[in-house]
Amino acid sequence: MAQYADIVGITAPSEAMQGSRVDITVRIKNLYSATIGIMVGGALEYGVSPWPGISFPETSANVGPGSTRSFSGYFTMPNKKVTIHAYSYYYASDGYWYFDDEMTKTVNLAQIPESEFGSIEIVSYQRR
Amino acid sequence: MSGVYLPSQFGVIFMPLAAVQVKAGDKLRVTCQYSHIGEAESVQLYASIGNEGWLGFDEILNASKTISVPEDLSWQYREAYVDISITSALSGGLYDLYAKIGGLIPKVISPTLLDVVEMIAIGDSEFGEITITEYAKV
Repeated sequence: MAQYADIVGITAPSEAMQGSRVDITVRIKNLYSATIGIMVGGALEYGVSPWPGISFPETSANVGPGSTRSFSGYFTMPNKKVTIHAYSYYYASDGYWYFDDEMTKTVNLAQIPESEFGSIEIVSYQRR
Repeated sequence: MSGVYLPSQFGVIFMPLAAVQVKAGDKLRVTCQYSHIGEAESVQLYASIGNEGWLGFDEILNASKTISVPEDLSWQYREAYVDISITSALSGGLYDLYAKIGGLIPKVISPTLLDVVEMIAIGDSEFGEITITEYAKV
């Protein structure tokens, strides 16, 4: 259970193709009675070490009491199922960031569909 | 008149296609645009010249070649061509054209373009007259 920066959810697709960009959103709620600085972090677990990070263009924000902030991030889907680890931190009065909460979500590897053709048209014909 | 529908800023426009004149010995390059999704695959691109009729397409000339279609994670439009050798199997006149991907059981077939190939009939060799135009000591 989080003390101040409570991760209330991770939004991510249930599956993604290898090499595709996976967009995620981590929602963090301020449980404190005043505005505090909240920071997001993330890593990917799929059998490699160290765990690769998740890119968050905006990693921190001041969040009002009881408010929830959404942090958008993304990563490139590897060649196997991946577990997203999202972390939250709060900024304390001593000037340090403290780890507070963690949530995980799994993104499965989508299979490449069988080859399929949708249409064909003759667009030109020329004497050679 | 045959033509193709092309996207434009005003929606889809109809672009009429003129007949191309051919004679025996020529090749007709038929360029096709197709859409694909999924795994990479090698398939036959096939095109034929003939006549569209009530009973289907009566093929006279055709050609095919194997094309390698790469893996596509989403629908992609691609182009490929096949060359049909023009022979005397065509007599003078207008002919229709269609293309498909696949063999006996096609994966996808194009609309038929009507009257887009015109075979030029060339007569047998014939001489009309002969005249001496110059004579000189050599």
